[in-house]
Amino acid sequence: MSLSTKEYFVKETFKSIRRNQLMSFASVSTVALSLLVLGLFLLMVMNANNLAKYLESQVQISVYMEDSASNETLSAAAKSLKTMPGVVKVTSVTKTEALAKFKKRLGDQNRLLDALGEENPFPYSFDVQVDKPERIAEIVPKIDEMKGVETAKFGQEVVEHMFKLTRLLRLGGILLVVLLAMATLFIISNTIRITVFARRREVSIMKYVGATNWFIRWPFLLEGMVLGFAGALVASFVLVQIYLALQDKIYATLAFFPLIPAWPFLGYLCLCLIITGTAIGAAGSSIPLRKFLDV
Amino acid sequence: MLLMKGISKTYPSGSVALRSVDIHIKPGEFVFVVGPSGAGKSTFIKMLFREVIPTTGKLFVDGVDVMSLKPEEIPFLRRQLGIIFQDYRLLNDRTVYDNIAFAMQVIETPYRQIKRRVAAVLDLVGLRSRACDYPGELSGGEQQRVAIARAIVNDPLLVIADEPTGNLDPETSMDIMKIFSQINDSGTTIVMATHDKTIVDIMEKRVIAIEDGYIVRDDAKGVYGYEPEH
Repeated sequence: MSLSTKEYFVKETFKSIRRNQLMSFASVSTVALSLLVLGLFLLMVMNANNLAKYLESQVQISVYMEDSASNETLSAAAKSLKTMPGVVKVTSVTKTEALAKFKKRLGDQNRLLDALGEENPFPYSFDVQVDKPERIAEIVPKIDEMKGVETAKFGQEVVEHMFKLTRLLRLGGILLVVLLAMATLFIISNTIRITVFARRREVSIMKYVGATNWFIRWPFLLEGMVLGFAGALVASFVLVQIYLALQDKIYATLAFFPLIPAWPFLGYLCLCLIITGTAIGAAGSSIPLRKFLDV
Repeated sequence: MLLMKGISKTYPSGSVALRSVDIHIKPGEFVFVVGPSGAGKSTFIKMLFREVIPTTGKLFVDGVDVMSLKPEEIPFLRRQLGIIFQDYRLLNDRTVYDNIAFAMQVIETPYRQIKRRVAAVLDLVGLRSRACDYPGELSGGEQQRVAIARAIVNDPLLVIADEPTGNLDPETSMDIMKIFSQINDSGTTIVMATHDKTIVDIMEKRVIAIEDGYIVRDDAKGVYGYEPEH
């Protein structure tokens, strides 16, 4: 391909975008809107996934010791808990700490505890964190059998519910994203098909003059890519603004919420959108063209 | 330049457009193809640039076996030809200059050469002053002259014209025919399908008459031979 031909293609691409301003605008808007929706869903799904992971990692086992357990038994228990496979962290909670914690949780109503007098009914306990929540079921019976242990609890029902919920969230999220991606491709290729259809006369004239299919295809392909790229750029910009605003809001009200940090996460997401947009633009413009090249 | 041997065309619908046609057109000839509507003129013309593929027979254009061309070779055949239609088929969103230059861009001619050559053909068809106008701003006759300029800009061996004066008044038609004569004088072969009795009778060129798919007449200096259709 000669230099002047390449120049011709590039010029033709931008001329054509200008000539078909309205259609170009429609294409860019469609791409932008579709990719924005897709991007928002991706943001949601990935954050939900992140939240699920976070919640899973928060699962811990509370090991309550017998009141009669001696200091030696306690330190031996702590040692063997730490050496158990899958255990990441063991924190000991003394009787006094447990009482203080409970008092704090009662808040204004901590006077209720006055009835206890000097007595502290809380047992000595260990908070055990494991690497994978699936491990809990196998670890808990072992702890139960240890010397000095009264009981090991981990809120079985809550954990199982949460597992179900996160699994559903992931599956639903993936399904939604796939469906949305397909819808996006369909909408965009339809929009471009209309553009190409409006220009089928032009294509047939080019064929009569002796243009090869590739000579005709290139400007369309470039045009599709430029429009897809532009749409993705718009979508990315809006998406970043939305996420940053949302982040501020969430951090102001729900400080503990494990939101994925904006950067480099948004950078990757935008890159994905831009590649997708450009590819969809290229595919969307060359696929419908095939029908009209057959003259 | 053009050789047809036993060419027939039956459309999928079953209608027969041409029946066993034998034609030989030598380089530099000016040939009119005449006949009533639906006689097969259009099919004849469209075969030359392979828009229609014959059902049987042999067809050579400038030595190229048109029937055995692969789809990707068709553009290269068309580059040897100048094709002119009744409805001009100009790109309405491009200027006169760009319409003509397009035929040269397609074959990757360098810019400077395009500029020179387009100016020359614009002179030939008398439209140099309209180079920057759009087809919509031109009269029918002017648009057809642009189409002719586009057809000859690459110096084709053969110009194929399908009813080029069909939409024009008699006076404009004669102007157009003068341009065709000039092109023919420079050695380019011209094959023209027409309904225009006046033109055929005045020009006194070879006339091939097609009726019901058969060649019924082939005169070296023929006349139209039918009553004008209205």
